[in-house]
Amino acid sequence: MRRHGDLEAAVAAAALCALLSLVLPFEPLRMLLAAPLCLFLPGYAITAAIFAARPIQRRQFLLLSVGLSLAVLALGAIALNYVPGGIRSGSWALLLFLVVLGCSRGAALRRPARARGPISWAPARPNGAQAALLAGGALALVAAIVLAFTPLSATNATGFTEMWISPLAGDNGVRVGVGSAERDASSYRLVVNFGGEREVTRRLDLEPGGRQVLALGESRATSSLVPVPVTATLYKEGSRKPDRPFRQVTTWLGPGGGSG
Amino acid sequence: MPSKVGGITADAATFKAMEAGSAQRRRGRSRPEVGHLAPLALSAGVGLLLCAVANALSRATLTPAMPFYWGGILLLAVPIFYRLTSEDASARERLTLVCMLGLSLYLVKVFRDAPLFTFSDELVHSFNANQIADHHHLFRGNPILTATPYYPGLEGAASALMKLTGVSAYGAGLILIGAARLVLVASLFLLFERVSGSARVAGLGVAIYAGNFNFLFWGAQFSYESLALPLLLLALMALAERGEAPREALRAWGAPVLLAMMAIVVTHHLTSYAMAGLLVALSLAYWHVRRSWDPPNPWPLAIFGILLAGFWLFVVASATVGYLSPVLGDAFSAIGNTIGGSDEPRALFQGGGSSVAPTPLLARAVALAAVGLLLAGLPFGLMVLWRRHMREPFALLFGIAAVGFFATLALRLAPAAWETANRAGEFLFIGLAFVLACACVEALRRWPRDRRARPLIAAGIALVLVGGAISGWPWDSQLARPLRASAAAGTISSPSLSLAQWAEGLPGGRFAASTADAGLLLDPGGKMALAGSSPDVEDVLEEEGLADWMVPLLRRNRIRYVAVDRREVGSDSLRGYYFSRRDRDEELLPPSVVSKFDQVPGISRAYANGPITVFDLGAGR
Repeated sequence: MRRHGDLEAAVAAAALCALLSLVLPFEPLRMLLAAPLCLFLPGYAITAAIFAARPIQRRQFLLLSVGLSLAVLALGAIALNYVPGGIRSGSWALLLFLVVLGCSRGAALRRPARARGPISWAPARPNGAQAALLAGGALALVAAIVLAFTPLSATNATGFTEMWISPLAGDNGVRVGVGSAERDASSYRLVVNFGGEREVTRRLDLEPGGRQVLALGESRATSSLVPVPVTATLYKEGSRKPDRPFRQVTTWLGPGGGSG
Repeated sequence: MPSKVGGITADAATFKAMEAGSAQRRRGRSRPEVGHLAPLALSAGVGLLLCAVANALSRATLTPAMPFYWGGILLLAVPIFYRLTSEDASARERLTLVCMLGLSLYLVKVFRDAPLFTFSDELVHSFNANQIADHHHLFRGNPILTATPYYPGLEGAASALMKLTGVSAYGAGLILIGAARLVLVASLFLLFERVSGSARVAGLGVAIYAGNFNFLFWGAQFSYESLALPLLLLALMALAERGEAPREALRAWGAPVLLAMMAIVVTHHLTSYAMAGLLVALSLAYWHVRRSWDPPNPWPLAIFGILLAGFWLFVVASATVGYLSPVLGDAFSAIGNTIGGSDEPRALFQGGGSSVAPTPLLARAVALAAVGLLLAGLPFGLMVLWRRHMREPFALLFGIAAVGFFATLALRLAPAAWETANRAGEFLFIGLAFVLACACVEALRRWPRDRRARPLIAAGIALVLVGGAISGWPWDSQLARPLRASAAAGTISSPSLSLAQWAEGLPGGRFAASTADAGLLLDPGGKMALAGSSPDVEDVLEEEGLADWMVPLLRRNRIRYVAVDRREVGSDSLRGYYFSRRDRDEELLPPSVVSKFDQVPGISRAYANGPITVFDLGAGR
């Protein structure tokens, strides 16, 4: 390959991004590396190959770099669908690297030897006042992002309590879960009835957002020849009608039971 | 009078900018100037912060936050509009400004929904993306929009980011659509600049395009059209460059067009048909203007586009025919019925039923005024187009599209044609934006010393932006609603989201659920969930009695779990995901819609959270 700094840098960056995004453990860091590999470098290399011998404006080059990268991602998935192993991190990394390498090679062969890269980086240098304004804008943006992604207390939202049941593995009991999305701390009485013969009662106190999961054994169900119905009833204490079932869930244990 | 430079007409502002740019390049080591960008970046940042505050107040179910919201949008957009009207801004500055505008308005949508997707189409596409990431292959089924897995461009692209970084479909989608939005505004700018020869027209054209009904919300969602439309504009930009390129450069400019076309065809059905139609129309426009089928007439590309879209439709995605034919068929019959008087015209600004607050009169007035302003500007824009750009095939096409846009507004009055009109409007608005931008620049040229001209034009574009946002998205859904909320022991989720989070822990099993619940069951629940009327899950869930056909239908569709939601809003794909509010009445279906399932032998109630109950039909029973 003739010496073309931008193309060499693109290939090196693609190799580095592909490799590190595969091996690094931290999502944000991997995103920083994968973003140029996915959203810029393939399009850059393709545009460089297409316009190796033709003049093109810098802004058009930049736009095509991003736009054609998106096109490569859309089409790349179709190609990877038919390779052994399918669409995986390794195959994506390899494909994107190969696109960058192949097109950069093509660009280098076609580009006149003394031609300069299409993009020269000359970052703007704001004066003090401009820097302060830009920093203010960036600060406001960061504050907006933090606010948008922070859960807030929803004062007028209607609270509720959720409850679920599932048979334990081997049908030797049930797992009962209760979660509170109420606005205030709540107390509950949980009554679990196994086939009308055995009853287990538990008292639960849950803060808003709290949840509790209980595993309650029932050995009789494993030897039973007929399914054993299990009913879990939740009573909410302190409510207007504390003796009225607040939630009820049911399942079956034994032959044909839920775990099957 | 505009002059001809390098095959394109250029106005004084563009000349000045070009000369300034050339001078800078000659000096070498040129640096972009910050100039007005710094204060505009500050106003955009503060505007976005106001929008985030408005959404936060709305999520917290506190005071009406609309003034903050609209104030934020205006603060971020109007200074940019005003600067775009100026004569002395360089092309580079204008391009930077439209990119800032596009991304800022995209963030308004992001702030509304963070940190989860909440548009029904987004949930469908994020489910598809997760399917690809989990199973490593494309074309897996989708229970709600069956055609979507056959157009995997968007989800395939998202899978690259998901696999390489480990981020969720939400994270990948956010970045991908952000990049696509950048491509959209930059492509539109360069396209308009090439056709008009004026960076001023281009900047104002993009600003006006931001006022199309779908720009703020619908077009910013994680959905296939949000990627396909920017790719289409990229292709059009490259085509416009190809049209002015010397003969030896035709092939070079054709290559990105071909790549973008292929990506569009695998990404979105309607955009691929729009692309084929546009290419045919453009070929005819070239012939009309130049009386020649020789290059750069793009007729070979038009034929390639038709063949490509046809191949994908009939060979790979034949399910699309069944998906689109009822939509288009209903639209045509609705137009006939509405004109013939057998159907009532659709009321404008209609909400989602009696429980949805109507759009305030002032908001309706703003939306109608925006449409009125667009219509009022059209004849002036067409006159400018006629005088200055009629030798440009693209300009001819833009003129026709601008008129066509108003035809789609009439279609909105036919109930079943509304969606078709809405989709078509997004494409046709490109032409309208160009035509109106020509009118704006003509006015600025004609009255260069009138101090009112620039503020009036900026205010007019602001009206179009706000009016478009009101027309394109229901008033009551402009701001966030509480989907998750902080609580003493962590974060609590709405009933629908709680159901989805519970379902996520299940080893398998298909669900039947109301529309909103089914969406969240797809993502983040990760479960196959059927909803709607085909198969008729809707009636199974909403009827008071258990009919003979219901359980066999569920078994035939391999449904294990039936999620019955007593909230009427549960069948609303826009409003059904959120917490109910204590200060508002909620319409509930009768208790028998739930209790009817107790009659089914062997059934169990696996989950209950008040409004939603899940019945387990059993794995083997």
